[in-house]
Amino acid sequence: MTGRRGRQIAWSVFLHLSALVVFLLMAFPLYGLLLTSLQPESVIRSRELSFIPESLYFEHFHAVLAEGHIVPLREGLFNSALVSTLTAVLCLVVALPAAYALSRLRVPGAKGILAALVSVYFLPTTIFLIPMFVVLVRWGIDDTVFSLVIAYSGFVLPFVIWILKTFIDRLPREVEEAARIDGCSHWQVLIRIVLPMARPGVLAAFIFAFILSWVEFLTPLIFTSNLKMTTVALGMFRSTIDIQVGQQAAAAVLTLLPVALLMLVFQRLITQVLMAGADR
Amino acid sequence: MRDSVADAGPVAQDRSPGTLRRRETAFSSALVAPALIIVAGIYLYPAVFTLILAFAEFDMAALEIGRWVGFKNFTDLFANPGFVDAIWRTIYFGLLIAIGSTLAGFLIALLLNQEFYGRTLLRVVVVLPWAVPPVVAGVLWGQMFHADVGFVNALLFRLGLIDSYRIWFGDGRTALHIIALAEIWKAIPFMVLFILAGLQGLPPQLHEAAAVDGATPLQRFRYIVFPLMLPVLIPLMLIQFVWAMKAFDTIFVLTRGGPAGQTTTLNYFVYLEAFQNFDLGRASAAAYSLLVVTLAVVLVVTVLRRLATRRRVPA
Repeated sequence: MTGRRGRQIAWSVFLHLSALVVFLLMAFPLYGLLLTSLQPESVIRSRELSFIPESLYFEHFHAVLAEGHIVPLREGLFNSALVSTLTAVLCLVVALPAAYALSRLRVPGAKGILAALVSVYFLPTTIFLIPMFVVLVRWGIDDTVFSLVIAYSGFVLPFVIWILKTFIDRLPREVEEAARIDGCSHWQVLIRIVLPMARPGVLAAFIFAFILSWVEFLTPLIFTSNLKMTTVALGMFRSTIDIQVGQQAAAAVLTLLPVALLMLVFQRLITQVLMAGADR
Repeated sequence: MRDSVADAGPVAQDRSPGTLRRRETAFSSALVAPALIIVAGIYLYPAVFTLILAFAEFDMAALEIGRWVGFKNFTDLFANPGFVDAIWRTIYFGLLIAIGSTLAGFLIALLLNQEFYGRTLLRVVVVLPWAVPPVVAGVLWGQMFHADVGFVNALLFRLGLIDSYRIWFGDGRTALHIIALAEIWKAIPFMVLFILAGLQGLPPQLHEAAAVDGATPLQRFRYIVFPLMLPVLIPLMLIQFVWAMKAFDTIFVLTRGGPAGQTTTLNYFVYLEAFQNFDLGRASAAAYSLLVVTLAVVLVVTVLRRLATRRRVPA
């Protein structure tokens, strides 16, 4: 009896210790970044190991957000917000009808279309970026918001269609069928019935599209050279060029913050929608 | 959920089947068309264009194909030891991330599948790195391993494991592993969520039956949980491998492919050829080589997996 009880205690201790280790490994890097962003350079550079700050120091944030700072974070935040929102809206407008059709209607070659959409994620991004760069330069629209929105939409759209399709698949058909019998056209069914019911899916898709656009790095790196056109992820990397460690951390925190907030607020929704898709 | 798709016939079908069906097809095609046009324009066309470019020399001044060179881009690449090294490095790097993130994700998911104090909090914390943009992950791990102010040096020095602060990114081999670590850390949330969903989908009766039969927890894991989870783990691992092939941001931020090209993966190689050397033809050939390498590894893993299951079945 005592042996069994002992084993249970040992197991419980083991579980809690493992949990602690996992907690530290996953959370500490982020905590360290936040801590660095809130400490004066002198404390960061001192070789003391201190995990609990004695005071908080907000100067790094002031500095990187000031106008004309070497890290163009102000412009970056603005441009990223603009480009990400435009991309998300464009993708939703185009994806919703497509997802509805793929989910509910007879679409010639539907299987092939879905396979093609998924395959997009297996191809190296550079395969698309090389010719796009050539075309954009030829049209003279590199270095514009427009060029980024076009490129992002290509990457994000398949994903958004996939999310919306799996969401619509799970909605009950009966309401739509009843509406059809009552004489609604497919278009009316889509706008009046599917859209309101699919609202959580639409929200999740919007968030995904926004986040995917926000974090994109390679595309703006290639397509933009004007500092005024920089995105936040790109502006961030300029912070790796010889500025204070604390300011670099502050810039990183600012880049991360919008995404982290969206993820935290909508964590349940995002996981649910993603898991629903994983069933198939 | 799935059978609802099977009885999918549209309601209005029986009024006059032919015309209605045709009208529905026309309508549905119209709904799908804008999306397809965008995807085709931004994906299909560029992908084909890159394939064509792989056999040409691109004139950067005129912004058009200069002349056809046949397989020269490919032969040039494979004559370049830097490129061949990059292929092997890329496969190693991808497998490291795929296996590392699957292993870590599986262990953490197994842990989260148990009852313990603080499980909900841990679940939230484990998902956090998902919200970290890859560039930020690069900066963050760069600071952790920073030679002067990095936490890792400070800790190891304090513990007496190193006797002087090390320049972690000075050594190519070490740098490559730090990049992989950053990628694995970022991949863990995704893996944990999906593996945990898989674990929770296992029928609980199996565990109970095995427990009644006197199987130890370890045996239960070895003979029940692990084999049942393999169909979940392997596809997830392959997804991570494919994503690792596309790793760019962390490499760019942490090492720029250096020192001496020792952290240059194929994807980074393509970037250098295309946008530093502006040799778009050779870059395109390298990009398609990357695609072939990726598909080859995925194929090999899939075939191995098939062989392994086939051998197990008759036994």
